[in-house]
Amino acid sequence: MSILKKGDLLLAAAIALIALAVSWSFKVFGNGDTARIAVIKQKGRVIRRIDLDRVTGSETFELKGDYPQLIQVEKGRIRVAEAGCPDQVCVETGWLTKRGDAAVCVPNGTIIEIEGEKSEVDDATY
Amino acid sequence: MIKLHRIVLLALLVSQAMVLSFIETFIPNPVPIPGFKLGLANIVTMLVIFFFGFGDAVLVVVVRCALSAILFGGPVVFIFSLAGGILSTVVMSVLYYRMREMLSIIGISMAGAVAHNAGQLVAAVVLMGTLSVFSYLPVLLIAGLVTGFITGVCSRQLSKAFQKWRRSEGQNREK
Repeated sequence: MSILKKGDLLLAAAIALIALAVSWSFKVFGNGDTARIAVIKQKGRVIRRIDLDRVTGSETFELKGDYPQLIQVEKGRIRVAEAGCPDQVCVETGWLTKRGDAAVCVPNGTIIEIEGEKSEVDDATY
Repeated sequence: MIKLHRIVLLALLVSQAMVLSFIETFIPNPVPIPGFKLGLANIVTMLVIFFFGFGDAVLVVVVRCALSAILFGGPVVFIFSLAGGILSTVVMSVLYYRMREMLSIIGISMAGAVAHNAGQLVAAVVLMGTLSVFSYLPVLLIAGLVTGFITGVCSRQLSKAFQKWRRSEGQNREK
């Protein structure tokens, strides 16, 4: 390209590399703000909070209600394995792994949602 | 350039930078990143660096930030824009005066935009007292490259026009 000099490309590449390195180092070392906590609510009440990164092995438990659900928790993920409801929306949602993921079961009034330990950076960075 | 002439031109450039930042607020943000802006005011900063020098560029940036803070923002906005503005002015000046052979205007603009974002991030760290905002650094660096490229293309065209104008104006005065 004629409008860009060689140095421009080098500079852009260097900055992109720094960006990659920084994001990689955040993944590797973590920054204390990457906690993933599964919050299980039924009819507006918090039933259980599970720190997904501290789970060892696999655990299943039943969530009682009009349509009982079987919840399965493993390290870093959670899902509804079985549900007694007719539409199975929550089961089809599959594994929840990231913050913000959620499985909702309207008939049983339950919400499973992954939250962080504290709220993320917000408008204050403007 | 006589002193009065210089002051008038710089004042015009300050108001131009403010209008550009105002226009910018009408452009919808394509990415949901807090603090992601095109940084059109950077075009003016670059022009001042090229044609007036580092000191005047700092002056223009400080006046622009102060006026924007008084008119639209507040002390927090002032600190944020000043941190970004000063850092990008310093970086762009150093690159322009020391490495002009290797970099084009667009490259300098990209470096300036990245420095602007970095400066704002540092201000955020200081003001909020938390390092967790640094997780935004990679996104902001890449965003700076993109916006810096766009504003760099604008600066290039504008400085060509400015050069032409300066030349014709010089001839007029000699007559």
